Amino acid sequence: MMTFTLWDIVRNLLLGGALTLLLSMVAFVLGGLAALALLFARIAKHRPPRGLAQIYIEIFQGTPLLLQLFTLFFGLSLLGLDVPAWLAAGVGLMLFSSAYLAEIWRGCVESVPRGQWEAGASLALTYREQMRHVILPQAMRMAIAPTVGFAVQVVKGTAVTSIIGFAELTKTGSMIANATYQPFLVYGLVAIGYFLLCYPLSWYAQRLERRLYATRTN
Amino acid sequence: MRTSRFFRPLVLLGALGLGSLAPVAQADVLANITKAGVIKIAVPQDFPPFGSVGADMKPSGYDIDVANLIGKEMGTKVELVPVSSANRVPFLTTGKVDLVISSMGKNAEREKVIDFSSAYAPFFNGVFGPDDIKISKIDELAGKTVSVTRGSIEDLELSKVAPASAVLKRFEDNNATIAAYLSGQTQLLATGNVVAAAVHERSKQRSLGVKFLVKNSPCYIGLAQGETALQNKVNEIIQKAKKNGSLNEISQRWLHAALPADL
Amino acid sequence: MTYQFDFSFIYEYRAMLAHGIAYTVYLTLVGGTVGTLIGTVGAICRTWDIKPFAGLYQCYVELFRNTPFLVQLFLIFFGLPSLGIRMSEGQAAILAIILNVGAYSTEIIRAGLQATPKGQIEAAQSLAFTRWQIFFYVMLRPALRKVWPALSSQIVISMLGSAVCSQISAEELTFVANFIQSRNFRAFETYFLTTAIYFAMAFLIRQSLNLIGRYAIVRRPLP
Repeated sequence: MMTFTLWDIVRNLLLGGALTLLLSMVAFVLGGLAALALLFARIAKHRPPRGLAQIYIEIFQGTPLLLQLFTLFFGLSLLGLDVPAWLAAGVGLMLFSSAYLAEIWRGCVESVPRGQWEAGASLALTYREQMRHVILPQAMRMAIAPTVGFAVQVVKGTAVTSIIGFAELTKTGSMIANATYQPFLVYGLVAIGYFLLCYPLSWYAQRLERRLYATRTN
Repeated sequence: MRTSRFFRPLVLLGALGLGSLAPVAQADVLANITKAGVIKIAVPQDFPPFGSVGADMKPSGYDIDVANLIGKEMGTKVELVPVSSANRVPFLTTGKVDLVISSMGKNAEREKVIDFSSAYAPFFNGVFGPDDIKISKIDELAGKTVSVTRGSIEDLELSKVAPASAVLKRFEDNNATIAAYLSGQTQLLATGNVVAAAVHERSKQRSLGVKFLVKNSPCYIGLAQGETALQNKVNEIIQKAKKNGSLNEISQRWLHAALPADL
Repeated sequence: MTYQFDFSFIYEYRAMLAHGIAYTVYLTLVGGTVGTLIGTVGAICRTWDIKPFAGLYQCYVELFRNTPFLVQLFLIFFGLPSLGIRMSEGQAAILAIILNVGAYSTEIIRAGLQATPKGQIEAAQSLAFTRWQIFFYVMLRPALRKVWPALSSQIVISMLGSAVCSQISAEELTFVANFIQSRNFRAFETYFLTTAIYFAMAFLIRQSLNLIGRYAIVRRPLP
C-alpha cells in the first residue's frame, strides 16, 4: 500500500506539475489584466489614481509573497469569507504578479521618448489616441522580453503556495519525499520539473531581448 | 516627499486592519452542516499511522477513518482537508473547517481558542533516536539536537521542561520534522510513539528507538468555540463508537492494539 | 462571536522578534555582499569567455534562475545529506541565498559590462591605461554604477524571499511569526505585523543601498 515505484513518484509529480502550470497561467493572465488597469492608473494625469496604484505596488513589492499568502489565507477567513487554498494561492499570485508587471510595463511606457508624445499632441491627437496609436505600440514591443522573463518568476512563485497547503509540484514532492524517504531523488525530480517549465521561458526571453537590442542599434 | 511615500502605505495597512474589525456573523455550525449535507474535516497527511498518503496521494489512517465514521453517523458527505500541525488551529478559528481530527492533544492554550470533544485515540509523545545515543531521561537532552513539529504538544512540553542547552529545531509540518531526523540533520526526534513506530517500520535509513516518553496526551477532536450542538453530537458519536467496537476496530487496524479501556 | 484583535503579544515576544529581524538582516547583508562578489567574478568570466569557468557559470546561473528558492533549500537541507553533505539550517539558508544572489547578479553585472562603449576602451588605450586600469576604471566601475539600481532591487527581492527559510527551521523573521502563531493562535495579527515589519525593512534596505550607491559607487575618482 505504501510502496512507491519510480513511476508512481513521477506520475504524481507530473500531476502536481500540471497544477503548477495551471496555477501559473491563471495567475499570469489575470495578473496581467490587473496590471494593465494598474498601469493606466499609475501613468494617469490625475494624482489620486496614481497615488493609489503606487501604494498598491509598493505594498506588494515590499513584502514577502509567503506572508501575503498567509495574510490572505487566514485574514479573509476572519471577514467571514471561505477561502480555499487554491483560491488564496491564485488570488495571492495574481496580486503579486500584477504589481511587478505594472512596474515593468510602466518602465517601458516611460522609456518611449517624450518627443513621441509631443509629436502626437501636435497632430491634435487626444491623450487616449496618443496612447493607443503612438505610445503603446512602441512600449509593447519593448515589454515583451521582460514580461516573458517575469513569467519565470510567477512559475517559481507558485512553489511558495505549497506552504499554505496547495498541492502543486513542491507540496506533492514533500509529501512523496516523506512517504518514500528518498528526499534527494524526489526533490531532485521536483527541481528538474521546474527547470523544464522555466528554462524555455528564460531562453525565449533572452532571445527576444537580443533581437530587440539588435534592431535598436542598427 | 520620500517619507510620505513610505507612510502612506502604512496608513492604508492600518485602515485595512481596522476595517477587518467588523464582527463575523456566526451561525450554528451543526445546522449549516446538515443543510449543506457536507462536513469539512481537517486531517493530517504527514503523520502515519494517523494520516499519510499512499501511491494514489489520498490520505488514509486512523484520523481519516474516524472522520469518515463521523460523516456516516451524521448522514453527511465528508470533505477531507489536509492540514499541518502548524495551521490546523487557524483553520478552525477562521471557519475553514468544521472539525479538526488531526491527532490533536488538549492543553490550556488551545482551550482558550477552541473547544474539544471527548478523547478518540490514545497518544504518548516522547523522544526517539538511534541506538548509539544512549539517553533515558529528559535532563540528558542537554547539548542534543531534537527535531520537533512547531506548535505540537511535544513542542510545547519540551519547550517547558527540556534543559536550556538542548536545541529544539522546529519545523512547519511533520513531513519536515521526520525528514530532518532521517536525513541526519538532528540527533533525535520528538513525536508520538505510534508515529515513531510507523516511521521506523517503513524507513530503512536510520533506526528509531524509544528514548523516553514525555507525556500521555490522548487525541481530541477540535471544534470552534461555543458550538455546543455540534460538540454534543460529536461526543455522542464517539461514545457510541467506543461502545459498539467500531473505534476499537480502527485502533486495531492502525495502531495494532486494542483501544485502552480508560480512554 | 466577534473576533477580538489582540496585538499584546508584541511585547511578550519582543526579544524573539528582534532576533528574527536580526537574522533576516544577516541573511540579506551576507547573502547580498558575498552573492554580489560571486556575481562580479561570474560576470568577468562570462564577458571575457574565460574557459572553463564561463561555461560552468552559465550552467550555474541557468540552474538557479530556473528553479524555485524553496526547492533549492529543500534539496540542500533534506537531499544533500544522503550524499554525505550535511549542513545546519543556518548554513543551508545562507548558502542558498548567496548562490541565488550570485546567479542573478552575474547576469545583471554582465549586462552592465557589455554596455561599455568600444570608444571608451579605445580612448583609455590611447591614454596608455594598463589593462587592469581599463578594466577597473573604464569597465567595471561604470558598469556597477549603471546596474546598481537593478542590483539593489535584487537584494531586496532576496530579503523578501528569505522568508521561505523558515521552512527548514532557520530562525529568521517568518519563523518567529510562525512560532508566535503556534503559541497564541493569533494567526492574522501575527502575520499582519510581520508583513508590516518586512515592508519597513524593504524600505530601509532600499534607502541604504541608494545611499551606498550614491556615495561609494557613483562618486567619480578624484582628478
